[in-house]
Amino acid sequence: MVIITLQRNKCIGCNYCVELAPQHFQMSKKDGKTVLLHGQEKKGFYTLKSNDYTILETCKNASKACPVKIISVKHN
Amino acid sequence: MQHIELMAPAGNFESLQAALDNGANSVYFGVEQLNMRARATVNFTLDDLPEIAKRCEAKNVRTYLTLNTIIYDHDLSIVKTLIKQAKAANITAVIAMDQAVIAMAREYGMEVHISTQINITNIETVKFYALFADTMVLSRELSLRQVKKITEAIAKEQIKGPSGKLVEIEIFGHGALCMAVSGKCYMSLHSANSSANRGACKQNCRKKYTVIDQETGFEMELDNEYIMSPKDLCTIDFLNEIIDAGITVLKIEGRGRAPEYVAKVIKCYRDAIDSVANGTYNKEKVIAWMQELEKVYNRGFWSGYYLGQKLGEWSNGSGSHATQKKVYIGKGTHFYPKAQIGEFKIEAFDVSVGDTILVTGPTTGAQEMKVEELMTNDKKSEKGTKGDLVTIPLKFRIRPSDKLYKIVENKVEA
Repeated sequence: MVIITLQRNKCIGCNYCVELAPQHFQMSKKDGKTVLLHGQEKKGFYTLKSNDYTILETCKNASKACPVKIISVKHN
Repeated sequence: MQHIELMAPAGNFESLQAALDNGANSVYFGVEQLNMRARATVNFTLDDLPEIAKRCEAKNVRTYLTLNTIIYDHDLSIVKTLIKQAKAANITAVIAMDQAVIAMAREYGMEVHISTQINITNIETVKFYALFADTMVLSRELSLRQVKKITEAIAKEQIKGPSGKLVEIEIFGHGALCMAVSGKCYMSLHSANSSANRGACKQNCRKKYTVIDQETGFEMELDNEYIMSPKDLCTIDFLNEIIDAGITVLKIEGRGRAPEYVAKVIKCYRDAIDSVANGTYNKEKVIAWMQELEKVYNRGFWSGYYLGQKLGEWSNGSGSHATQKKVYIGKGTHFYPKAQIGEFKIEAFDVSVGDTILVTGPTTGAQEMKVEELMTNDKKSEKGTKGDLVTIPLKFRIRPSDKLYKIVENKVEA
């Protein structure tokens, strides 16, 4: 399973995650911060669990590129 | 003598209160992620705007919202929301760089101030921005002589902003200087995708560097490895000349710094501005102010380029040269208003009679005083240690969860 987590409140809206993983991230027009598509919210953290391992690379790239380090990608 | 507005930084409620308590005429602050301190651990939120405005209005202090990052398309909506909410909360003005922000602020009837990032260096540019803004920060590479020419030309040519008043000129008076035009630097972006223009500067320029010739391996000998870290700007020792240049707003940098820094710096500059106004500004006072300013975070001081073009002065350390530092002692638990006594739970080091303590909190601000007497666990004593409940007669009110620090000498490595 691949688990992607986003700590959204610390986002500075730089757009890198959208550039690198557009199928999973989108900038919100409402508050200028990124949205983890289909993510489940719990205490400000948004989590997406997926069994599709093909998403791993792009999401890891987004995590690596994030300047405020608020995207974590874990897999087993 | 014109009225000089002392503008203080406010990174959080503690600093805001410290600015209000120490004589600031205006404060500037960022909200959410669209400000030049987006990386800060604590940033004001939209919901804080009314409280900021309320506290400042009570003291007749002007409020400026910094909205001076670069703006992407996806930010336009939140910019609009921020401006609308600022207007609704009665915030005085928006500090802007991006033309979209300037246009939107004007659309909603918000006063606009032109940020330092626009880098204004001549009277024609002042005329251009006068179509949109009432106050402008001038570029760092202007000498005081050049600043004076601009302020004289504003008066002579009657250059007025949208409010119908003469354009006011603002300059930075104290605090950190960037290697680049404030924020307009790509070092951080290149090294960590972290755009300084979005307020996410990683301060690469503040680190030690060596210069090595790749072909020969020859390492350049440098007097100082901090080849890109300017010392902090300090103008208190020629503030009379600064004021004489015709500026109306003196801005203090430091939204990322501690409340006691804001308290100390604002207090010194308030005192200095008042001294210039009443003719008591002198060398002895300057020496005393400099000693006070050196107590809080600084990278060493220099006069910028105001006194004419000269080489930049580089800091010779990565951190602070402050002569004092604060040590966490514990937190406030209770205040007895009749007796004016504060109760603290000691969680770390000890506190003794004779110590200088600092109490910080969102409502308390940053209050400093010397401990004249104290009681430990209801018994008069000389010292309180970890685990004790101490009571101290105070000259100010404290609130539960306020932090108690002790001020100690800081051994600075030269």
